[in-house]
Amino acid sequence: MFCKKQDAEGTMARQLEAAGQPGETSAIGRLLTWRQRRLIVAFLFVLPALINFAVFRYIPIVEAFRASLYKYSLLGGFGEFVGLAHYNRMLTDPVFWRSLQATLLFVLYKVPLQIVLSLGLAILLTRQTIGTGIVRSAILTPMVTSIIIVSIIWAMMYQSQNGLFQSVLVTLGLRKIPFLSDARYALPAISVMMIWKDIGFSFIIFVAGLKGIPEMYYEAAIVDGANRRQLFRHVTIPLLKPVLMFVIVTQTIFSFQVFVPVYQMTKGGPLDSTKVIVYYIYQQGFNFQDMGYASAISMVTLVLLLLISWGQMRFLRSDD
Amino acid sequence: MAADAQQHIARRRPPTLRAFRGVFGALRALLYVAICVIFLVPFAWMLFGGLRAEREIFRYLTPFSWRTFVPIEWTLDSYKTILGLNETGKAAGYNFGRNLLNTLIVSTAVVISSLFFNTMGAYFFARLPFPKKNWLMIYVLATFLIPFEVTIVPLYIVVRTLHLDNTMWALIVPWYASPFVIFSLMQFMRWTIPYDLDEAALMDGAGYWTILWKVIVPLSIPGLVTNALLEFQFIWNLFYWPLVAVGDRNIQVLQVVISSTLGQTQQYWGRTFAGATLATLPVVVIFLLLQRYYIQGVANTGVKG
Repeated sequence: MFCKKQDAEGTMARQLEAAGQPGETSAIGRLLTWRQRRLIVAFLFVLPALINFAVFRYIPIVEAFRASLYKYSLLGGFGEFVGLAHYNRMLTDPVFWRSLQATLLFVLYKVPLQIVLSLGLAILLTRQTIGTGIVRSAILTPMVTSIIIVSIIWAMMYQSQNGLFQSVLVTLGLRKIPFLSDARYALPAISVMMIWKDIGFSFIIFVAGLKGIPEMYYEAAIVDGANRRQLFRHVTIPLLKPVLMFVIVTQTIFSFQVFVPVYQMTKGGPLDSTKVIVYYIYQQGFNFQDMGYASAISMVTLVLLLLISWGQMRFLRSDD
Repeated sequence: MAADAQQHIARRRPPTLRAFRGVFGALRALLYVAICVIFLVPFAWMLFGGLRAEREIFRYLTPFSWRTFVPIEWTLDSYKTILGLNETGKAAGYNFGRNLLNTLIVSTAVVISSLFFNTMGAYFFARLPFPKKNWLMIYVLATFLIPFEVTIVPLYIVVRTLHLDNTMWALIVPWYASPFVIFSLMQFMRWTIPYDLDEAALMDGAGYWTILWKVIVPLSIPGLVTNALLEFQFIWNLFYWPLVAVGDRNIQVLQVVISSTLGQTQQYWGRTFAGATLATLPVVVIFLLLQRYYIQGVANTGVKG
């Protein structure tokens, strides 16, 4: 397909050449050949997007690296050059290491459970019956809702006195649980909420992936006497693997960057148990006005995420 | 785990009630109900909570029953308050209507500008001959690797240098082009629009610009709708960026104002419910109406991308 596309473009270019008028007499016409002008026009189509990516995606990284080498405050801008001092500070900053730990723990709570649950839901709902449409819409509604709204409502559900969950517990004759104000429960509570919120994304992709498996594989396996479990283990899982890996990689990257629920529900507490890395960056940059240190942590996290996705993709390839 | 093979055959038939026969059928029906309850209860609590008097919310909280949700006395008081339409609202300085409008302006501006510039970019990558185009594609796709939330602080530094901070432009300009939309529209143009069409137009002497708007765009409508929908939802739901980029409450978006005035204190639950509903309803309604396109868009990220 790719080659065919190249061919088509080649033909188009030749046709263009043939269609051009050689007798052009304007000023630009004399300076540039007809082909050069075509290339410039083509480039103008993509230029606005290229500028956007340069200014708002690439330059921020360069600026962050620069800022990480200086004292940089919101009010004063660039200050004294400090070299690698911010990076050194990170090595001995216990809060940084704790935030890294909280982030990893969150990813570990959330990603595996979300994938198992959404795969289960996808398998349950591939069969079209009355009601599947409604169930699907229900699963997808949290996904299109704003993360800040979800965090506000769930904070009220988890609330230690009048929360909706406390109402259920009391009605069942159980004791109230201070979900968000107990260091043992806060991070798992946020993870549960985030699974509820993000499950629609992996669900849609798994449903599409399951539909993409040709039926003849199942039919062939049934002829060979495979039972349900074997069908799942030896047909569904291997054929779903690329999709599965895509979901694992993207969900790990997304979850690693969790910020809003922590900002809204716990402010990193209790006892730093939910102080994830992006929240720590926010705190350093905007609460403590230390943009230099915040930039340094951003740079390290950026490299860390690149390493994680690179590692996961390598793992996926070597396994094939 | 389920009878996959049977499912794959059953899928082709029109929906029936057959799946709900027998013990397993009953279990399946029960499971369906349970799933709906888990995913919809928080929304029901929010929606009805905004339509009842403040004291009712707490009085009927326990025991957990249908009264926990359904109001006895229906009232729009919470909405009037947050929109600044009654005395309480005016005294507290609420003007959520203004903030809702801001969210709407920002989302619409981003969707329109992003459709315009990304369509041009996608057309370039899908159709136009250009030397070393693959390198430009790598330049675009590499931005996928830049983690979004991690680079908010650096992005703020850049936007501040450009003196765009604390203006509505800060909420619009960074998003007028998106690598995701360019990639997905490019795929759409490559797979679904025949090359013969634009070649014929070229032979007739039409320029790239004319071909794009007269030939390509009319045939890309499903792809454009999908991407407009994803983009709208992305911008509407943004929180971290407007939180840091804009300080002035008059130009701030609804999501941030709800969080800063109601979410943090957790004092007035009725108002919080009403505000949350206001911020949720538009995007959920649009989603339910255009669900097919939305699912298509998300599914494509995993299967084709």
